[in-house]
Formats: sequence, C-alpha cells, structure tokens
Amino acid sequence: MFVYEKRLQYPVKIKQTNPKLAQIIITQYGGPDGELGASLRYLSQRFSMPVPELKATLNDIGVEELGHLEMIGSIVYQLTKNLTEEQIKAAGFDSYFVDHTTGVYPNSAAGVPFTAAYIQVKGDPITDLHEDMAADEAVN
Amino acid sequence: MTNREMLLKKISTYAFAIYEYRLFLDTHPKDEVTIAKITECEEKLRPLKMEYEEKYGPLRMTNDNKRKWTWVNDPWPWEGE
Repeated sequence: MFVYEKRLQYPVKIKQTNPKLAQIIITQYGGPDGELGASLRYLSQRFSMPVPELKATLNDIGVEELGHLEMIGSIVYQLTKNLTEEQIKAAGFDSYFVDHTTGVYPNSAAGVPFTAAYIQVKGDPITDLHEDMAADEAVN
Repeated sequence: MTNREMLLKKISTYAFAIYEYRLFLDTHPKDEVTIAKITECEEKLRPLKMEYEEKYGPLRMTNDNKRKWTWVNDPWPWEGE
C-alpha cells in the first residue's frame, strides 16, 4: 500500500522557463539512470530479498525514489511552462514538443523512451545489490 | 517566500531528516542516538503539520474533512505556487 502526502520531498519553485534545460533534466526522470528506473529497480528487487534488513531498505528507498521522481517531474513541468512558439524552436524543444507538447514523458535526454531494460532483477541478493551500486555509481 | 511556502519547507526539512534516520534504523536497529534524534524531529514536526493542515488543507487525503473535500484544491505540489 502507498499513502500520498501532498507536498514535495523538497520544494520546487522555478521562476524562469528554460526548455533547453528541461530536455537535459528529463533524463533524470525517465533516462537510463533516472528516478523511474531507481524506484522500479528497488521496489522489484525487494520481493526476493532474503533478510529483513534488506527487504526494509529496498522497500523504503524504493518509496523515497518515487518522491525523487515527483521532484524531477515538477522541475521539468515548471521549466516548460507558458512557452512561446519562438522559445520552443530556439531551444530545440520542438522535437520533444511534437510528440508530447509540454506533458512530462519519461524519456532520456536523447529522447529514448523509458524501458524496463534499464534495470535488472535477478532474484539473487548479491547480484541485485551489485546492480544497484552500478546504477547509483556508488562503486569506486 | 509566502508563509505557506515557509511552513511547507520546515515540514519538508524535519520529514526528510526523520525519513533518513529511519532508513538508518533499517540496518542499525536500536541505535539510541538515532532514536533520540527521530524523537526530537517528530516533536518539532507534529505541530507544524497540524498548523499547515488547519490553514492550508490536508496533506493526506484521509485527513480531509469529507464534507468539505478540500483535498482536490490547487495548488498541487508540482505547480510551484
């Protein structure tokens, strides 16, 4: 079960539209290492985790990633508010606009739609945790 | 920043701290320092949430007065207003 709280994890208030920036930031929404992938990854991997600490951690960070997804979506939404035709063209936003107008669609900066192929779920705790570290670039 | 935004930012600050401390408890249960910090933040957060909901409407759907139904009212969080 999920319960929604009507607030962002951190407030987002953007004063100036910037469609060019939106097109880059959207990759954190639906790109290969974006928040949609992160939340799906953790919330899917948790089912086959064998110990309580790992079940809890994946469950709770998976939920938090949904909060991150909402913040990034808000940023993209606000960056593309009240655009003129000239702004759309000048920013190169027309290639996105033709398919989605100013709707927030999960794709990468290069316009590749989100795919579950960005994540992996193997049912083996060590394999899955390594995949998590790679996705978070936490390996060094 | 409006009063509403300031209040919401304070709520988000304490709620974030509480969530992260609780994540720590997932792998470090019974850590007394963390438990004390959570209690401290919760005591600060509770009255802020009550004040917010009284002035600006429910944070959770189930906290809404079902006869008034202000849950649907703008602004929604992503609107930045």
